[in-house]
Amino acid sequence: MDYIYSNSYTVITIFLLLGIILPLATVWGVGLILRPKNPAPEKLTTYESGLEPTGDAMVQFNVRYYIFALLFVVFDVETVFLYPWAVAFDELGLFSLIEMSIFIFMLVVGLVYAWKKKVLRWE
Amino acid sequence: MTVDLLTLNWGLLAPELTIVILSVIITLADLFMKNGGDRKAFAWLSVLGIALATYFTYQDLGQPVQSLLNDTYRVDSFGTMFKLIMLIGTGLVFMMSIYYVDKKEIKYDGEYYYLLLTALLGSMIMASSGDLITLYIGLELLSISSYILAGIRKTNLKSNEAAFKYVVTGSVSSAILLYGASFLYGVTGTTNIIGIAQAVQGAFNAGFDFYIYLGFFMFVVGLGYKISIVPAYMWAPDVYEGAPTPITAFLSVVSKAAGFAIVMRLLFTIFAAGNIATGEINAETGMPINFFSDEMTFYLAVLAGLTMIIGNTMAARQINVKRMFALSSVAQAGYILVPLAVVKINSPVVMNISFSNMIFYLMAYLMMNLGAFAVISLVTKANDTDELKAFAGLYHRNPWIGVAMTFFLLSLAGLPVTAGFIGKFNIFVNALLFESYYLAAIMVVTSVVSYFYYFNIVRQMYMRTGNTEAKLAVPFGLQLVVLLTFLGTVLFGMFPNVLIDFISTNFSVMDLFTPGM
Repeated sequence: MDYIYSNSYTVITIFLLLGIILPLATVWGVGLILRPKNPAPEKLTTYESGLEPTGDAMVQFNVRYYIFALLFVVFDVETVFLYPWAVAFDELGLFSLIEMSIFIFMLVVGLVYAWKKKVLRWE
Repeated sequence: MTVDLLTLNWGLLAPELTIVILSVIITLADLFMKNGGDRKAFAWLSVLGIALATYFTYQDLGQPVQSLLNDTYRVDSFGTMFKLIMLIGTGLVFMMSIYYVDKKEIKYDGEYYYLLLTALLGSMIMASSGDLITLYIGLELLSISSYILAGIRKTNLKSNEAAFKYVVTGSVSSAILLYGASFLYGVTGTTNIIGIAQAVQGAFNAGFDFYIYLGFFMFVVGLGYKISIVPAYMWAPDVYEGAPTPITAFLSVVSKAAGFAIVMRLLFTIFAAGNIATGEINAETGMPINFFSDEMTFYLAVLAGLTMIIGNTMAARQINVKRMFALSSVAQAGYILVPLAVVKINSPVVMNISFSNMIFYLMAYLMMNLGAFAVISLVTKANDTDELKAFAGLYHRNPWIGVAMTFFLLSLAGLPVTAGFIGKFNIFVNALLFESYYLAAIMVVTSVVSYFYYFNIVRQMYMRTGNTEAKLAVPFGLQLVVLLTFLGTVLFGMFPNVLIDFISTNFSVMDLFTPGM
């Protein structure tokens, strides 16, 4: 009973070691013996779901995408909260209606902020 | 299981809700106003709102402990005391800001005001939280708002440096705090602070002492960052230097008070006095059993001693006045820690003395430090330099401000006729009373060191001639701040009983350990 807490760390350590050893063993250990060896230049190209790879991997893209991603996360999280509320609407009653209204209002303030700061406009 | 949430007493949240509504109104008003428009009205509106919230908080005094949602949010005399300190402090910071904020340096001045309000909200949540989760939310709200505020002078290099250093050190220490919290959650199975306090002794006896020690030290490091004591004080000079001066004042008073609130609530409820709550009593001595309290106060005493020594000696070397005050506030945190480090957790009466001394000193510190920062913001802005030279000839340029600053410095140094003296004297006597002679000695010696740098400013004000003898005009907001803090510093120094009575009638340390109704 006393050492359950420490024991759970022992289990974690075992998993960690296994996690390190197994991939190493398959790539450089057993795998080296079992796998057929047939090098070809095509095998060195980048895998792009069956398409012919074109261009450089180091592409610059616009920093504005980050802000869109951020706004997306806000609304994504909103859905996560709205959905269970909608499902259990009848049981939760008036209180959660008020609470969710406050929650949505706060998010709307955030949206208005983004809107007014011209985040939504692509120039 | 089902509790009708509508029947809960949501009126308890009145001070916090006032601040939330205020900050939303100001956010929206800022967004729909013209870009070049003057935002000074926001500051006065905020002062009014804070006054209203202070009134609501004042109504909470003298009530029994009440709590919301399974004791996650508590309204007890301890939290209320700290909330009063924070509200008054932030109100004064707002008055200081009106003069300081201008469009040239701070382009987004509307954001300055509402971020200050959200920072205040975070610190109020910290003071009232009864659960590690609520506590962390308050902590992050305060921290993230103050990261932005520290860097709000966007084109200023120092301000950027301050914000960056603040973000990095702040995130590291809140990660450490969370890691420590996870250990305590692991061994006790609850995040409720009083729940942890009740379960931690059992966990200690069951052989989990190592994890409890780990949790404790991680708490000390993580929380020590907010109050800038020794293991985590390095950020203070850089951040205080780069942040706008009113924000520096906010960090050194309100943010620090919030830090002390959670240090006391967490460390003392969890590690030292949980058994007062559960009522287990040692049959031989008749005292509550405490597995950790003596050790904890020893560690805190070491930290308090180191903080006083390092803060004061390093401050003596500074020529930049904001850096000097940063290290001086590190040293002050050491003094404030002394009553906690000497406390003997054996009876509520004895604990009450220590905690009341600490609250008194925090109130005195609020007055004197905010007053000093008001003068600093005036002088550094007028002379366009942060160096000590900025104070040269201040007495001749504006005698009233010179005299007020002298009193603030006397109070910070702990010399008589000021609130700082009474506070420091009480703490000193407290340390002697509980036979902590080393700490008392360090306190006296480092105070003498502190005279050196505080009087350096006094010397500059009276005995050096500045570049100009022209009259220094003081804007209305700053006049008000200096007047109020000056009156506070001197009157509470002459009639300390008013404040001491106020604290002793309205504060009871047992509230910390009582589950709310």
